[in-house]
This record gives sequence, C-alpha cells and structure tokens, in this order.
Amino acid sequence: MATREVKISQNYETIAWKWMRYSAILLIPLVFGHVLMQDVLVGVYQMDSAYVAKRLSSWFFQAYDIALLGFAFAHGVNGLRQVLRDFIHNPKVFRVVSIVLFIFWLAITIYGGVALVMATQARLASL
Amino acid sequence: MSNLKNTLVGYATYRGREGHYSFLLHRLTGLGTLLFLTIHIVDMAWFYWAPDMFEEALRLYRSWPFLIGEIALIFAVYFHGINGLRIAIVDMFAPSKWAIAAERNAVRWTLVGSLILWIPSAWMMLSHAVEASKGAAHLLTNLGIF
Ligand code: HEM
Repeated sequence: MATREVKISQNYETIAWKWMRYSAILLIPLVFGHVLMQDVLVGVYQMDSAYVAKRLSSWFFQAYDIALLGFAFAHGVNGLRQVLRDFIHNPKVFRVVSIVLFIFWLAITIYGGVALVMATQARLASL
Repeated sequence: MSNLKNTLVGYATYRGREGHYSFLLHRLTGLGTLLFLTIHIVDMAWFYWAPDMFEEALRLYRSWPFLIGEIALIFAVYFHGINGLRIAIVDMFAPSKWAIAAERNAVRWTLVGSLILWIPSAWMMLSHAVEASKGAAHLLTNLGIF
C-alpha cells in the first residue's frame, strides 16, 4: 500500500495524542496487575482498613499506587477531553472546558496523592 | 446543541461495522472506567481523610449491586486495555497496517481476548462472593443487601 510521510509540527495536541499511547503501554501492567490482584485474586470481601494499611506499608505498593493514580487518571481525563472535542466545535469554549478539566484533574490527583503519601507517614509516626 | 445532535447521529448511523463498533465500545468503556476511577480515588483517599466513610465505602463495595457493577467494570477494563494496546502499537510502530480487512480481524481477536480474560475473572469474583456468604443465614445478608 502506498504511504506518504507527513511532517506534523509539535504542539500541545500532538503531545497529548502521544501521551495517550505511551501511557497506554504503561497502563497495561499497572491497571491489569491492580485489577487481577485486588478484584480477582484477593476480592473485596477480604478487604478492610487493616488490609489496606498493611498493603500501603510496603513501599512497593505505595509507589505502585502513586504511579497508577498519576498515569491512569491523567490518561482518563485527557481521554474525556478528547471525546468532548467531538462535541464542542468552538475553540474558545473548548479552551475553557480544557482548563476546567485540568483543574478537576489536579484537585482529585492531589486529594488522592496526599492520602497515599500521608497514610504511611501517619502510620510511621504512630509506630 | 446541534453539535451534540449531529455527533450523536453520526455515532449511531455511520456504518463502519467492526471498526465502528470497536470505536464506540472503546469510548464507552473508557468513559465508564473513568467514572468509576474518579469515585474510587475519592473513596480510597478517605482511608486518610475520613476513616469512617472509608469503612462505609468498603461495605458498599461488598453489596450485590456493586458485585454486578464490578464484574461489568472488569470487562470494560479488559476490552479497553487490549484494544488500546492494539491501537497504540499500530499507531506508533506500524501505521501502514491500518487497513480495513486487517482491522476487522483484529477487532474480533480483541473481543475474544477480552472474553478469555473476563470469564475466569468473573467466575472467581462470583466464587469470592459465595464464599463470603458461607456461614451467613442467607447469601444476601452477607452481601449487604439486608
Ligand atoms: C488498561 C490499559 C489502558 C490502555 C492500554 C488504554 C489505551 C487507550 C488508548 C490508546 C486510547 C486512545 C484511543 C484513540 O485516540 O483512538 C485511549 C483512550 C481513552 N482511555 Fe484508555 N487505556 C487504558 C486504560 C484506561 C483507563 C483505566 C481509563 C479510565 C480512567 C481510560 C480512559 C480512556 C478514555 C476516556 C479514552 C478516550 C476515548 C476516546 O477517545 O474514544 N483508559 N485509551
């Protein structure tokens, strides 16, 4: 099949497009590993605060969860932005929507991220 | 408002067969997973911010409606993940492979792969629920419905 190389200049949207693809490759081990461990192997019926505390006291799972939060949520919110672009054709409106989504992403990420970092620090302090 | 209508009518009436269905399913599963993930980040963060509410959220996760939602969510994640990996690899390493016949085949294999992962997973999740119910007066009691 005949193909033609087209040079596309780097801008915010091409970086976002690539981000979806690079993050996708990282998300496979992160997300599938999380789902297989938590939902399939352990199951929600064995989970309580003690289980979560034990899990988060391992630096490995703490780092794992921080990576999961950082990559999966950013991927998902940028995906939502991508979907909304199909519906919002006015560039000014779309810019406002993007900014709102960015603030939403930042707020939830900080809320969850602080909990992940502090949960273990609070426990270490109580030891 | 007409943007909304035009785009939705396009989604519904475009006749691209497998490629079209996989586009719609990828979108739907991505958005559904994002909805759950947003709730899930907040309720897990309660472990630190609001331990009482955290326990309440865990109780809710053990309920019957959530089990059904969880099993559906697992399918969404598997399909979206496998399909997304396929899209990412073809886009980044072999964009010339985006041909309709190959795409139709790949979509079918993606679905088969998702089912192969999902069926045993769903079965294991159901058996966890049944196990958890053992010793209780009634299955539904332990699943938190009554
Ligand atoms: C498991 C690993 C995952 C992989 C390999 C993956 C891959 C991808 C890829 C490659 C795209 C871009 C599709 C395109 O532009 O045509 C995408 C879109 C998207 N993803 Fe994921 N993803 C994964 C997990 C997730 C998770 C956990 C969420 C939810 C938070 C999510 C939400 C979305 C959304 C909302 C879109 C936009 C859908 C669209 O444009 O139609 N993804 N995903």
